[in-house]
Amino acid sequence: LSNPSPRQRQRRGKLTGRRIAPYLFLIPNMTVFGLFTIWPAINGFRISLYDSNNGRTFEAVGFKNYRRIVDDPRFSDVVRNTLTFVIAYVAVVTILATILAMLLDAQRRGRGPLRAAYFLPVVISPVVVGLVWSWMFTRRTGIVNSVLEDIGLGQPRWLLDKNLAMIVVIAAAVWTHVGFYAMILLAGLKGIPGHLYEAARIDGAGTLQRIRRITLPLLRPTTMVVIVLGTINGFQAFDYVYTLTGGGPVGGTTFIVQYIFERAFQSPIQYGLASAAGVMFFLVVFTATLINYLFGRRKEAI
Amino acid sequence: MGRRSRTLAAVVAGGLVAGVLGFAGVAPAGAGTTEPPPGTAAASGIDFSAYEGESLTYVYFTDGPDEAATRSLIERFTEETGVEVDLQLVPFADLETTLQAQLSGGDVPDVARVTNWRPISDAIIDMSEYFGADYFEQFLPGFAATGMGPNGELFAVPSDLTMNGPFINVDAFNEAGVDIPTEWTWDDLVAAAKEVQEANDMEFAVAIDKSGHRVSTVLSQFGTVLLGPDGVALDPAKAEAAITTLTDLMAEDAMSADFWLETGSRYAGANEMFLAGAVPVYISGNWQVGQFAENATFEWAAVPNPCAERCGGFPGGKYMVAFSGSDNPELAAGFVEWMNQSANQAELVAGASWLPTRNDLIEQGIEYPDRSEDMAVFIADVAETPEDTYLSLGSPAFGPSATALVEEIAFVVAGENDPAGAVETLVERMEQALEDVGG
Repeated sequence: LSNPSPRQRQRRGKLTGRRIAPYLFLIPNMTVFGLFTIWPAINGFRISLYDSNNGRTFEAVGFKNYRRIVDDPRFSDVVRNTLTFVIAYVAVVTILATILAMLLDAQRRGRGPLRAAYFLPVVISPVVVGLVWSWMFTRRTGIVNSVLEDIGLGQPRWLLDKNLAMIVVIAAAVWTHVGFYAMILLAGLKGIPGHLYEAARIDGAGTLQRIRRITLPLLRPTTMVVIVLGTINGFQAFDYVYTLTGGGPVGGTTFIVQYIFERAFQSPIQYGLASAAGVMFFLVVFTATLINYLFGRRKEAI
Repeated sequence: MGRRSRTLAAVVAGGLVAGVLGFAGVAPAGAGTTEPPPGTAAASGIDFSAYEGESLTYVYFTDGPDEAATRSLIERFTEETGVEVDLQLVPFADLETTLQAQLSGGDVPDVARVTNWRPISDAIIDMSEYFGADYFEQFLPGFAATGMGPNGELFAVPSDLTMNGPFINVDAFNEAGVDIPTEWTWDDLVAAAKEVQEANDMEFAVAIDKSGHRVSTVLSQFGTVLLGPDGVALDPAKAEAAITTLTDLMAEDAMSADFWLETGSRYAGANEMFLAGAVPVYISGNWQVGQFAENATFEWAAVPNPCAERCGGFPGGKYMVAFSGSDNPELAAGFVEWMNQSANQAELVAGASWLPTRNDLIEQGIEYPDRSEDMAVFIADVAETPEDTYLSLGSPAFGPSATALVEEIAFVVAGENDPAGAVETLVERMEQALEDVGG
């Protein structure tokens, strides 16, 4: 690069200069982001130290909201449900998305339509996903039990048994998101140089060996992205769960976002309590993401 | 809290409001509401001529046919007074948060139709300022009392009433040769329902909406209510008997246990089950009359509530409130009063399939355009309904307590608790709810 001319140097100080222009481009986005995400988030922390049942009058209560949540036996159930769901969901969706991505990568014919088919659930409204799955798994009239009964397997209590309901919710979550993660992993697969496989083949490595020694290690950064996104996504699960099981049976699939929602928007409105739960939720997701990230980076370094 | 910390709290609160609005998904506006000076007091009625050309906003939630009836009455109001009314429809689930957001944003509506006015009691007009301290004497006493503030303020005008009660599938009853009940006990109801179910090979005998409000009907019939003016009013033994009746029915598959469990903490109505002919007796309320008249493929009828210790149903009351932050508080109050004048309320409730709240209308009855005899059954039950049901419904903690009732029954249905344990937890949760609402 040649040295900047005096005129170019002068332009650096102006609005169109390199030092200022990027920030100008960022301002519109950051204003909206700051006003509707950062500022409310900061206020969320502040509200968690207050009691308010109308959003208009606030009474400072210190850490009372936090103490109440920690002492709430329902909250410990909610945390346990959430962790069970997130761990199972992330594990299943990562494995399935990886397999799906490899299959799609190897697919020669009909690649486009297949990808579209797997991606389709991502664009369906989560509320609709929840409703459709709830109709499918209703014990007496659901299509799943109609089929199972016809082949002599009886009528499992899908949405009436806590464990079965959890499995249905995890399955719905995986079905919804697997296509999205598979696309991310597919992009990762495309980035692995073909000559590595060629060399391995010449050295006599079988398919499984190639997957284990080349594909999976080189796909690790992308897999980490999927795990981090999946973890965040899992913790945030609400809409389709709410329409699928309503958090039931008897609280068996009530996750943390529903807990927050019910405290904030169902009578009696308790914005302070909801915000405190929101702050705790933020800390959990942040920690989980950080651990994932650090763990992934360490692995990468090895 | 000292003055300084109060000021600090107020300043912080102003900021916090923006946050709350942020996560409520509503664009923030300024903060704080202003206390208007009370308008010129008038002993009866408001002189609307001073407000010709003005307009009012009326925040409203609809249950169906009432919207058209309300619009037509509002049109007449505009014709008579020259005041335009902007009807703002809000889904019932968002009503409270919408009103709170509007109030904190300074975008105060003039009038609203609500079921729970206590969270906004600091922002609504005391009607006695305009219509005298005896204004509420025109309304059903038990219900009117629930619209009053602690110092006798006439805050919420009882504008329409619903009454819970059973419907029966008349065709199925006839097929089974079971008499249509004109009065019956809970034991009669269960026995008749089972007989009809069996004779018609129906899926269930009895259905009730999954709602604490509807189950309160059964509680009242067994002699108790959730709440009263002094807090928890539940009689544990009577509540246990009521809950046991329902959970036993579910245990023997005479009522759908799946229905109670499959939708989690969400409300679920059993109206589709009744319309599908899957159940001969369905406990709901008079608001179903319109849609049954339209959709039922069999003959049906509303029948009197069953009695156990007591008779009668359980009320559902809606109120109209006027906001003190309105641009024209006197006009807002005048509109509420006008809508509830005898002839106007009669027209509205007839069109909306509501029950009247005025003593004169309850006494003389309402001529409904359709299914008048079914509506008469509900009106007759208004007279039978004990007054403490209104007090329970009027408690600020009724909403969360009703939710707790549904959830605790679910634990019994799922086999994780027994009725006595459910009542015990219910009482604890109601006490917490009372604390949360500041009651």
